[in-house]
Amino acid sequence: MTSWVDVICITVVFLSLIILSNYRVAAMIRIFAIQSFVLGLLPFFLHAFCISNRDVILGVVTMVLKAVLVPSILFWAIRHVSMRSEVKPIIGLSASIILGAMIIAGAFWVSLSLKLPGKPASDLILPCSLSTVLLGFMIMVTRTRAVTQVLGYLIMENGIFLFAVSLFDVMPVLIEMGILLDIFVAVFIMAIVVNHINEEFEKNPASVTFSKMGETF
Amino acid sequence: MLTLLILLPFISALGIFLPVSKKFILKLFIAVSFCHGLIVALFWMQRPPVEFNGFLVLDPLGLILLSIVSFLFLSVSVFMIGYFKHEPRSNRLLTVCLLCLLSTMTLVAVSYHFGLLWVSIEATTLFSAPLISYHRNQQSLQATWRYLLVCSVGIALGLMGTFFLAIAAHDVHTLLLPAILKGSSSLSLNWMKLSIIFFIVGYGCKMGLAPTHSWKPDAYGQATGMVGVIMAGALTQCSFLALLRIAQVCNKAGLTEFYSSILIVSGMLSLLVPALFILGEKSIKRAFAYSSIENMGLLVLGLGLGAVGLFGALFHMINNALAKSVMFLTAGSIAQKYGSSRADEVKGIIHIYPLTGILLVAAFLAGTGMFPFATFHSELLILNAAITSRHYCLAAGGVVCLGVMFIGVAKIVLGVVHGKPREPLLAKKENTSMNAAILLAVVLLVGLGLWMPIGLEKMINNAVKLIGAV
Repeated sequence: MTSWVDVICITVVFLSLIILSNYRVAAMIRIFAIQSFVLGLLPFFLHAFCISNRDVILGVVTMVLKAVLVPSILFWAIRHVSMRSEVKPIIGLSASIILGAMIIAGAFWVSLSLKLPGKPASDLILPCSLSTVLLGFMIMVTRTRAVTQVLGYLIMENGIFLFAVSLFDVMPVLIEMGILLDIFVAVFIMAIVVNHINEEFEKNPASVTFSKMGETF
Repeated sequence: MLTLLILLPFISALGIFLPVSKKFILKLFIAVSFCHGLIVALFWMQRPPVEFNGFLVLDPLGLILLSIVSFLFLSVSVFMIGYFKHEPRSNRLLTVCLLCLLSTMTLVAVSYHFGLLWVSIEATTLFSAPLISYHRNQQSLQATWRYLLVCSVGIALGLMGTFFLAIAAHDVHTLLLPAILKGSSSLSLNWMKLSIIFFIVGYGCKMGLAPTHSWKPDAYGQATGMVGVIMAGALTQCSFLALLRIAQVCNKAGLTEFYSSILIVSGMLSLLVPALFILGEKSIKRAFAYSSIENMGLLVLGLGLGAVGLFGALFHMINNALAKSVMFLTAGSIAQKYGSSRADEVKGIIHIYPLTGILLVAAFLAGTGMFPFATFHSELLILNAAITSRHYCLAAGGVVCLGVMFIGVAKIVLGVVHGKPREPLLAKKENTSMNAAILLAVVLLVGLGLWMPIGLEKMINNAVKLIGAV
């Protein structure tokens, strides 16, 4: 089963790299949904063939929340926006891919010196989650639209989630659910704020503050 | 009892979604705040039993924070009576968010599991975000966005810290505080160090410590005074509780030196940065926000120095909350009268509203730590700790930064209080309940400055013992 865990880890990093190299917001959200779905599969493969109740609960809740509900909220948030693609990322596409590759290499290098106690399900979990977190950070920093920043935050959370499932037995399932719920509500509120910002922008496009904020939002 | 205390505000928040009148919402909020205050006061006589298999415990540290939260909500609820007399807008969303915030902050104070602590602190971020954009204009939306993004990312780092702690405590198999303290000898020190760094960066972000303070002036500048009080007085100190909890583990695991060196550096930075920015500031609320960053720096510095400094930090938690309540409530009352809190639009306030003018001066003195306000004593205790531990440069630098802050805030506040009076746009009379809420905090602050009740001193000493600093 370890090989499947490895496949999932690599896929997650690969998908974050694809998001990093994408301009179109809608495509980015779809790829994020796929990434979350793949992550939701992880608990089923973690404990070689003995799938417990908590694995099922965590996997299903992750898939429903992150692969279905969160993407639909994000689609709702960008529905009214006229600009559907990213405006001027701070770093160009090819440059960000190269930087992303360097980040992944760095994450693998750093995790060489970090040793997980006990027997982890796969050696790839730590480096892959670190690189996903860092790639999420990079998307947040280099993109200027509000929705893409939320996506960066979500990818970061996915990286943390990848890390969290590997030390599963420490957290009671209720608290795992609490963490997932918190992240879901965070995205919900962010989407509402994005929507309000869009409304204000359409009401008063020529205002002084928004000429500056057009970059950010 | 603890569950009841958490659920009471939450259930009443759900009740507000029913079609009820503005007056009823206000009355409900006041009733809930008073009930909460009453129950917390009873806890001072007798601590409630442990609930949910040790997940919810009220220890002296939690009780201090809980009392602060409860008092601030009480004084805000009294202030609100006057505020909504002149306010045409609906108070529904504001009250719902405030009540949910009360519920989650109570959970922060009593949670004894690091995962639960994270969940509740993240929940406070979410419920406080809609409060900042109460005015619903471009600037406030921008401030809300910045707050949400910076704090969410910060808290996400805190989550990573929590997971690293879980790895460090691999042999303990749980994140319950007493279990970790008991098995502190088996903690993996390298993972523990990583966890400490993430904890300080993550929760420090939410506290508004120096490198990650950028959301603070915007958010406090845009929020109404009442929200400013809750955020500066209670919310930031909830995250400080997370740092205190990890300090408990560090002291037990023998990592005190590592932990305190990081805290001292970030504390000094948080003293220095506001001192650099305050002099160019034009708005009262933004100036008070910088003062809040400085006070967070003092808290962290006190915790890092340990011994007397720790006592000072815990005492300063209480004083800071009271001072922030005086500062932001006065700023809120001025902002409502003039429709602005910018120094160039508000002038000569003492000639038109004498009492508010005097209160603003009191707020300035309390916030910058002048005698006879209790903030003076706690700041002195923290500086004293710096000197007794032979950090002479630290103490000198701290005094200089505090001095610059004093000058900066004085420049703005005295300009507003004196000068040629400008008639407010929305001329309103002084309001008794608004002033009463502010005056109560002033009286308490002066009282604590002149006389320390034995019960309080004992409680703080118990809390210091709990943290177990050397």
